[in-house]
Amino acid sequence: MALLELEHITAGYEKNIILRDFNLKVERGQFVSLLGSSGCGKTTTLRLIAGFSQPNEGRIVFDGKDITHVPLHRRNFGFVFQSYALFPHMTVFDNVAFGLKMRKVPKEEMKRRVMEMLALVDLTGFEGRYPREMSGGQRQRVALARAMVIRPDLMLFDEPLSNLDAKLRVKMRVEIRRIQQELGFTAIYVTHDQEECFAISDQVAIMNGGVIEQMDSPAHIFNSPNTEFIARFVGFENFFNLTRRGGALQTESGLALKVTREVSGDRFRACIRPEDVVLYPGDTQGENRIEGEVLVTTFLGRNIQYNVRTAIGEFVIRAGQEQAYSVGSRVSLELSANKIILIRS
Amino acid sequence: MMNGLRKRMWLLLILPGAFFVTVFMLIPLFSILLSTLFSESTFTLGNYGRLVQSTYFQQVFGRSVRLSLLSTLLCALLGFPCAYYISRYSKRKGMMMALAVFPMFTSPVIRSFSWMVILGRKGIVNQFLVGLGLFSRPQSLLYNEFSMTVGFVQLFLPQMILSLLGVMDSIPEDLTEAAGSLGATRFVAFLRIVFPLSVSGLVTGAVLVFTGCMTAYTTPQLLGATDTQVLSTMVYQYAMSLRDWVQASAVAMVMIVVTMLISGIFNRLSRKINPMAA
Repeated sequence: MALLELEHITAGYEKNIILRDFNLKVERGQFVSLLGSSGCGKTTTLRLIAGFSQPNEGRIVFDGKDITHVPLHRRNFGFVFQSYALFPHMTVFDNVAFGLKMRKVPKEEMKRRVMEMLALVDLTGFEGRYPREMSGGQRQRVALARAMVIRPDLMLFDEPLSNLDAKLRVKMRVEIRRIQQELGFTAIYVTHDQEECFAISDQVAIMNGGVIEQMDSPAHIFNSPNTEFIARFVGFENFFNLTRRGGALQTESGLALKVTREVSGDRFRACIRPEDVVLYPGDTQGENRIEGEVLVTTFLGRNIQYNVRTAIGEFVIRAGQEQAYSVGSRVSLELSANKIILIRS
Repeated sequence: MMNGLRKRMWLLLILPGAFFVTVFMLIPLFSILLSTLFSESTFTLGNYGRLVQSTYFQQVFGRSVRLSLLSTLLCALLGFPCAYYISRYSKRKGMMMALAVFPMFTSPVIRSFSWMVILGRKGIVNQFLVGLGLFSRPQSLLYNEFSMTVGFVQLFLPQMILSLLGVMDSIPEDLTEAAGSLGATRFVAFLRIVFPLSVSGLVTGAVLVFTGCMTAYTTPQLLGATDTQVLSTMVYQYAMSLRDWVQASAVAMVMIVVTMLISGIFNRLSRKINPMAA
């Protein structure tokens, strides 16, 4: 049985319903990310789970118990805020100890647990500092320690790394993952950063317009997106229609294409990543090849991006610098059979 | 070079204000102070000695400080929940704020007269008390320390609310949410987070209310009686009725010193509660 279940949740205001009949299951010990652009409902979902707000309809079940109306302070979930939300008038020690004081943990034990947690996040020696005397990364780790020291049944992260610079972000996400695996807690992590979320999660739920479009392992989502929205999200930029005619898949221009990973159905939206298209000079014949004309070339450093007009639409291609094509030149595009992904339409 | 000149140009900006304060406040204040310290060009503390020894002055002084402190406390108690409500829960913040400061749009004289109507023998409060059967005949609610305190609180509550609102609005909502997720009830979160972080506003408000009460004249004059004098009405009495300008000045000096002293104590207390408040 899933550790956390959101069943038929509706949330939002009359004029602005953010979630409608929303469902989510999280298994014990998993690191689950909610990924989506702003306004997709991911933060709303997290805040409902935390107890900061209440759903209009539906149930939240945790460990077999209905917690929909259990107040915030009795849920025992750790929450890490985007803004860190450290108490500015308390030292690092008092910030981390806050949750233990609320639980009336004896002084000696409290001290031991706070120091252990500070050691875990590599902040030993900082216990007397105030938040304003620390850097962003350090504050982030205090926030992490403060949420984890209460031994929460569930850890909730709301874009915790988005206020850090790129380098620190990568370092901290490895850190969060390490601590999660060390302590074995279940975590729900909200982010709009695809790379961050794929790096850190066991399961990724991609949200769009208040609905989970797909929930799978990062590798599965990366290799077989369910919808065009998700395909675009994970780096597919070239889309075209394929129809099954007499056993073969054909483009709108009538060209037959081979596809390694077949899906049942008759009408498809096919897609391929810009890096996976191979370019050849001139009009050449061959399996899965179409002809085109270079419209735009853009130098990107490691490779060159071409926008190519073909009979089935414009393609974006990124190729190495060994062979450069000028604007207006004729090229052939090879859409390898094992790189085309089919999405049922 | 340019930089130094620039800096000096900026100094010009404070010149008009500084000139005004010096000519119309510092110099007169200083001359008042001098007038109380010299009698026929010899230095003396006699004016203050006489004041301190007078039991009448002691009574008035005690009443002034006591009523001002009491009113400050009441304003804090009433203002805190009100400001908290407006900053956290109120959907129509602008309107609530306008309502809170609305009394400031009428003069203290009119407000005092209104209290006379409300608290008088035939006022609604007495009608209500007698109507409920709590008292058999109307109580004297007017021209005593009670009516003065009521007047002070109503006069200065908006200042307290505004001061508190200023700091409470700058406390992020996620701090109370964080406290909640760590196991604090709303009340505990208020006590441990919102309250200490609001102390700087509380102190500003308390200083405003306290100095306001200490120096208010119309309210104690209209809502008090001859046996409930405070320092400000005493100054008036010395200056206008007794024509003793020197003694009036001495009382005024005592008012200034006490007000500054107690404001300083408020500041001290705030630093104890929230050491990080600047």
